[in-house]
Amino acid sequence: MIEVQSLCKRFTVSERTSAFALKASKRIVTAVDNVIFTAKDGEVTGLLGPNGAGKTTTLRMLSTLITSDAGSARIDGADLTRERATVRQRLGVLGDAKGLYWRLTARENINYFGRLQGLSSSDAQSRTTALIDELGLHDLADRPTQGFSQGERMKVAIARALVHNPQTVLLDEPTNGLDIMSTRSMRELIRGLKTQGKCVLFSSHIMQEVAALCDRIVIINKGHAVFSGTPQEVLAATGLASLEDAFVKLIGSEEGLFA
Amino acid sequence: MISPNSTFSMTRLWLVAQKEILDLLRDRKSIFMALLGVTISGPLVVCLLYFVAQSIQGRIEKITAPIVNAQLAPDLVRYLERRGVKVDADPADYEARVKNGELDAVLLVDPDFAANLASGRLATITLVSMSSRERSAPIAGRLSSELRGYGAQIGTERMILRGVAPAVARPLQVEELDYSTAEQKGARFLQTMSFYALFAGLMGAIAAALDVTAGERERQTLEPLLTTPVTSTELSVGKWLAVSMVNLLAVTASMLGFLIALKLVPLGKLGLPFNFGAREFTGFMAVLIPFALMVPAILLAFGAAGKTAKEAQSSLTLAVSLVGLLPLISMFRQTKAPWWDVWLPVNGQFAVLSKVLRAEAILPLEWVAMWAVPATICLVALVVFARRLGDEKMLAGR
Repeated sequence: MIEVQSLCKRFTVSERTSAFALKASKRIVTAVDNVIFTAKDGEVTGLLGPNGAGKTTTLRMLSTLITSDAGSARIDGADLTRERATVRQRLGVLGDAKGLYWRLTARENINYFGRLQGLSSSDAQSRTTALIDELGLHDLADRPTQGFSQGERMKVAIARALVHNPQTVLLDEPTNGLDIMSTRSMRELIRGLKTQGKCVLFSSHIMQEVAALCDRIVIINKGHAVFSGTPQEVLAATGLASLEDAFVKLIGSEEGLFA
Repeated sequence: MISPNSTFSMTRLWLVAQKEILDLLRDRKSIFMALLGVTISGPLVVCLLYFVAQSIQGRIEKITAPIVNAQLAPDLVRYLERRGVKVDADPADYEARVKNGELDAVLLVDPDFAANLASGRLATITLVSMSSRERSAPIAGRLSSELRGYGAQIGTERMILRGVAPAVARPLQVEELDYSTAEQKGARFLQTMSFYALFAGLMGAIAAALDVTAGERERQTLEPLLTTPVTSTELSVGKWLAVSMVNLLAVTASMLGFLIALKLVPLGKLGLPFNFGAREFTGFMAVLIPFALMVPAILLAFGAAGKTAKEAQSSLTLAVSLVGLLPLISMFRQTKAPWWDVWLPVNGQFAVLSKVLRAEAILPLEWVAMWAVPATICLVALVVFARRLGDEKMLAGR
């Protein structure tokens, strides 16, 4: 269960007008402004928005990588800033950065995170083996991850995030760069997590994906949560027949990417 | 108030260290190349110095004196030959050959030499050489001293003939008493060894430090790591332990390389009774262990600066040059070392290592400096490193 209460995040960006400019001008960018939503257990919640809308920043705040400037959020009732230790144990995060240790095998990569999450040596091993079976990584499990394909890397990264069997799972664009087969197995996995009663929050800029998976959609644009509700509620609110049209209408721009 | 991620856990710290060591040792190419370079460069220099010294000594012993107008000074020729100098009479085109380095030094006998010598006037011999050419200087020096010896012999004979004691014309007798022990003379020659020992303690850490800082950014693995309960203190100390272990390995390998090289190269034959036995090995390790633990902390603190792998790399290069250039201060200094010399990191290590080689007693205060200074720097660098690892600004803009 994730409860987000008007989260805000601003970054200070220093810019130089030219390479020879002595003084850099400071500009404050508001990445996330007053975002409110709730994601429930046993549901898949989609965080939908165009590029640069603030999806990644929101997920980074929720995963305790960065602190919010204002507002608060709770994961299973634990406050993000006051109970970080609890929050980190409850969360499984597949963030924006999904890098693996190249020289370690898939098994070692997953096992390392299991041990860091506090699992005992034997628990971490059995859990790693279970995830390798579940994700169909048998043949690759004991090879260094250096030569893995994008899809195989993504599988290892997701296994790493789920190794401690977290109740709440955050996924930042989990299908980005994957082929159709890998995308389908990722969707299967997300549905599987849902049936296990987990709370899944995932971000995407692809409408079809959100439509195929989500029980609830949070649409973010320019740092604001512009809509929150079920796909049916999105259609009802806009009076349009397709989710894609509804999305474009809600973010208020026909230009999309080039806005 | 932001609560910590979790309380400090020794288990996690060890997990991080173990993982980093495994990861580093798998990187065969860069780690083993660094270790190999460190292990062979020192002994290679020892061998090089040996051959240089051997060839200089050989050239001074088996010396040839080209003499222009040798027929005018048959006594001199006989004197030189008796002294073991081979005489090459009337070399052709000597001026050009001295200039281009074919000949090291040439003696020019004045046409009036024989007449002047017979009548008791000043007889002139010109020593032609290029003092700017390093390998010619000792040969010219040897010839010059042989000529002086010849002159002194004639002078002494003349005085005895006239019934005068030779001491009348040579009122001063200079006796030399050198307190330098044999080890010290040899150690001066091999001071480069202290330099290479420190060099090993620096080079061994670079590749590893780059990998666990800039490499972690490049692979984008820091962010997933920071979402686990691991704290930045555990991470930084764990990484430091791993890099330090690789560095200690490099230092030990380099020392063993020296030990073997010095056993094989017969420096004693050159009049260099250079000693590097168990006592020197222990002394070196006692200085190098704290040094080898300090360097990784500095490199990591610098390497964690910057958001990109590129920035981290250039920041780390700055740290390497800072550490690498400091011993030059004492290498080129001509005056007595000031009191703070031993407290200056790197420079102090260099001074104490040289003392170990010279078999001088090392003061307790110097041992304090060898351990307290690196410990303090290490602590500060680790605090900086932990802060930078946990700093959200480093993550925000990738």
